[in-house]
Amino acid sequence: MRATENQGSFLNRISIRRNQVVSMEGNHEQELDDLEIFQKHVADRFSNLLSSSSSSPEESAATAATSSDSLLSIAWLRKLLDTFLCCEAEFKALLIIGREPSQVSKPPLDRLVPELLDRVVKALDVCNAVTHGVDAVRHCQKLAEIAVSALGQRPIGDGQVRRAKKALNSLIAAMAIEDRDGSAGSKGTERAWSFGRRGSSAAGASGSNKDQATAQFRSMWWGMAKGWSAAKQVQAMSANLVAPRGNESSGLAHPVYIMSTVVVFVMWALVAAIPCQERTGLATHFQVPRQLGWAQPIIGLQDKIAEEWKKKEKKGTAGLLEEMQRLERLGQSLVEFADSFRFPAEAEKLEEVAAQVAELAETCRRMEEGLVPLQQQIREVFHKVVRTRTEVLEVLDQVGKVSSTPTM
Amino acid sequence: MENNDIPEEKSSSAGDAKTEVGLEEATVPEETPPPPPSQVDDNHEDPDKSDLNKIYEEIDRIVTNDNAAPAESVVDEFLDVIEEKIAKLEKEDHDRHAFLESVTRVSKLYMSIVKDPKPEEIGTASIINRIGSVQQRAMAYLEEEFRSLLEDSKTTVDDTSDNIINDQNSISDGGDDNNYNNNNSDETTIFPGYPRDVVLRMNKIAKEMIFGGYESECCEVYMIARRNALEEILQRLGFEKISVDDIQKTHWESLEREIAPAWIKTFRQCATVHFADERILAEAVFSDHPSIAASLFSNLARGVVIQLLDFAQGIAMSKRSAEKLFKTLDMYETLCDMVPKMDGLFPADECSAELKTETSLALSRLGEAAICIFCDLENSIKADNGRTPVPGGAVHPLTRYTMNYLKYACEYKDTLEQVFKEHSRTDGDDPYENDGVSENPNDLQSPFSVQLMRVMDLLDCNLEGKSKLYKDVALSSIFMMNNGRYILQKIKTSMEINCLMGDTWCRRRSSELRQFHKNYQRETWSKLLGCLGHEGLNVVNGKVAKPVLKERFKSFNAMFEEIHRTQSSWVVSDEQMQSELRVSITAVVIPAYRAFLGRYSQYLDAGRQTEKYIKFQPEDLETYIDELFEGNPLSMVRRKQ
Repeated sequence: MRATENQGSFLNRISIRRNQVVSMEGNHEQELDDLEIFQKHVADRFSNLLSSSSSSPEESAATAATSSDSLLSIAWLRKLLDTFLCCEAEFKALLIIGREPSQVSKPPLDRLVPELLDRVVKALDVCNAVTHGVDAVRHCQKLAEIAVSALGQRPIGDGQVRRAKKALNSLIAAMAIEDRDGSAGSKGTERAWSFGRRGSSAAGASGSNKDQATAQFRSMWWGMAKGWSAAKQVQAMSANLVAPRGNESSGLAHPVYIMSTVVVFVMWALVAAIPCQERTGLATHFQVPRQLGWAQPIIGLQDKIAEEWKKKEKKGTAGLLEEMQRLERLGQSLVEFADSFRFPAEAEKLEEVAAQVAELAETCRRMEEGLVPLQQQIREVFHKVVRTRTEVLEVLDQVGKVSSTPTM
Repeated sequence: MENNDIPEEKSSSAGDAKTEVGLEEATVPEETPPPPPSQVDDNHEDPDKSDLNKIYEEIDRIVTNDNAAPAESVVDEFLDVIEEKIAKLEKEDHDRHAFLESVTRVSKLYMSIVKDPKPEEIGTASIINRIGSVQQRAMAYLEEEFRSLLEDSKTTVDDTSDNIINDQNSISDGGDDNNYNNNNSDETTIFPGYPRDVVLRMNKIAKEMIFGGYESECCEVYMIARRNALEEILQRLGFEKISVDDIQKTHWESLEREIAPAWIKTFRQCATVHFADERILAEAVFSDHPSIAASLFSNLARGVVIQLLDFAQGIAMSKRSAEKLFKTLDMYETLCDMVPKMDGLFPADECSAELKTETSLALSRLGEAAICIFCDLENSIKADNGRTPVPGGAVHPLTRYTMNYLKYACEYKDTLEQVFKEHSRTDGDDPYENDGVSENPNDLQSPFSVQLMRVMDLLDCNLEGKSKLYKDVALSSIFMMNNGRYILQKIKTSMEINCLMGDTWCRRRSSELRQFHKNYQRETWSKLLGCLGHEGLNVVNGKVAKPVLKERFKSFNAMFEEIHRTQSSWVVSDEQMQSELRVSITAVVIPAYRAFLGRYSQYLDAGRQTEKYIKFQPEDLETYIDELFEGNPLSMVRRKQ
């Protein structure tokens, strides 16, 4: 794994740096070196992500091909988070270890560092929202699994087909509602449907299926406060993100900018991929100056994802998560099959369906394998980021202490 | 195994009793005798009861005997009956209990035929199709009923958490049948929101769905319904969802007054009541499938716990300030208290390991925040370096603030001790640590009491600096006495700090106070007493130098008036110390003055001269001394008039 290699070499660097702490004065060259290495690592890591995502999720979802880490797939997102954790650790070392605390509090860092910390706090909320989003994705996975198990039975009869169709309709309805308004928490939580065993007929019950799915899916949105919007949060994170210019661009200002960009980009990508409370307006993404060398891979990824997002908004398809797109495509196709089903099924038709079911099963398997680790990784990001923030604040506190100590 | 948790209303039918075998193997053992036709099954309404019984017997024979060739006509007839029943049920509430048993038969029938299909037999395929279809329809019906039961009953949840606690207790003492079978069983709420018969019904439906292979549907319905229910419980407990970002922006007052207490209440209620209820419910509904019950419960509770912990993290991250210490510690205590309660609830699985980690991380964050806030006191003491002395040498606001803060903080002594012990970062590489404050190397002291000592030393140091702002040395002694006394009193009245600081410390402080007292006495009163000395008054031959005597009286009067004037504006608010000071002054001054008067007043001419030079009688002095340290400048002249 590339990530671990990087981490290894980076740990070595820390220990080297520790030894150099004593001779920090006049170590300007070393510092320049460190900054360059950090930039290079960021660029390398993201171009690694870019190259592993040569096919768009839509394309790869459309083919049965199982390249498991295509753009915005679960595996890819896990790589993205790995990348984030590596960058974060390296940045922290760069900012804190062996550094005179006063360096971090000098202008323009006295403004830039707190701004970064503020972004970090906002990133925590995105992490939480995305964690809840993963729960919703898992719900979709369960529905798809029902279809897999129903259509995997032999012989396939009306019962199996109806069972699969019921689950898949719920799945599609759930995805559609997510897409129409991600603001499930804010409005329409009222239970528009009511199952009346006593009142409604069988037809009525199946008619309210969609509404039920809607209500069900909405309930997956717990966790975030009313009115909270993932899109707004990401926008707020990028609001005052400006590349340092002129004198400011020397020293630590630049790595702080790089890290900010990485934070914002990663959060933006997560929100784009995973169902999240209120995502409208996400397309207006932040701009990274095109001339910055290290930013090229990030810009490349950003462009690709933004393009996907535009398609999504046009077509009204569900989230960008590759596996979800697959579920949606296969789900729709299998519902069509179910609609035209007559027992006994033709052998040819069955073969076709079997292939789709196999693909659906494979997708579910990948979700089963990937979603829990993904969720854990998001928690890890949460905790790491909190930790770093505390440590940076401690450094700033020390500066405060030193300057406020009265000379008695 | 099967229905230990939920006593059956009626004797369980054989069909139910065998569900497990069917579930695991998807076969029915041959030796199993065909279940007797159920008595409850065919109720009075059914016109052709005996026909139906025959059909059931036949079906039971088929599903229990591998070699039995399915007699199509019987199966068809059976399926017709079932479909009719479903149709009826979908229209009205009708004979639901008997229906479940029929569904068991359908599921068994399906399994036994699918297990060994004979496709060469014409018609088998279509029978399989029909059975599967009927089964699906039945299951869909059950799913809706299950959802409806879960959802409908939810609305009847008691609105007060007290009731829930009572219910909870009633379950946990008895534990089993006795509670379920008590006289008013229909009204009794076994689980908040769900009457007993509803729970029993849900248990049967779940069993039926799982047996029929519809476990996923069943679990999803359950998860979603209970998620919503828990969400409502959180709302009812007043827990307000708030993003980490918003926590940073919200005014502390409203966090402190409403949101954090609501969090504490919610956390306690969830850990002590609602999680236990949730587990009992899951176990009751899925009594035959403990692992399903466990995983459903874990997932549900996990969602709530993580949400609650995120709030704690948000609070721990908020900008530090002294007043946040107490709520932070309250939250810390809540978490600590609730951890053992939750440990017992969660099955030892991945989820509980995750929650343990999450909880301990949240504890660390809160603990570290508390330490930071407490240590910040050092900074605020250091930063208090105003140049204006407090008038009258009174207790400095910094002393008041610091001591009251410490006193309040020490009400959390045990928690703080724990926090300092467990969450102090023992990094010796802090180059900014050494700020000249004497370190106490006593290893026996807890990290918290060491920190407390540091704060006290810093405060002393700071006060000493402030005392130098007074030009009058006597006043600076009074200032030190006042502050020292205040500190000592605070410590003596708080058992916790007293305990931490120790008797030795208090004794040392008391003797310091006495020293300041002596300093004051010397500064102010020795000079005055100098006027009452005998030297220089006695000329040879026992004659008294009258001009010198007059001068002595004059300067004594002037000096005393001056002392009275200034020192009556000085402040000693501690009554005991005030009276001690006056007593000690009186004890020094009055006898000396009395003696002086006794010896020398005779040398002054009675009348005019005496009146002029002896302005004070000893009693007057006593009165004036009693006016010292009142904090209000008095002019003697005005008083005399």
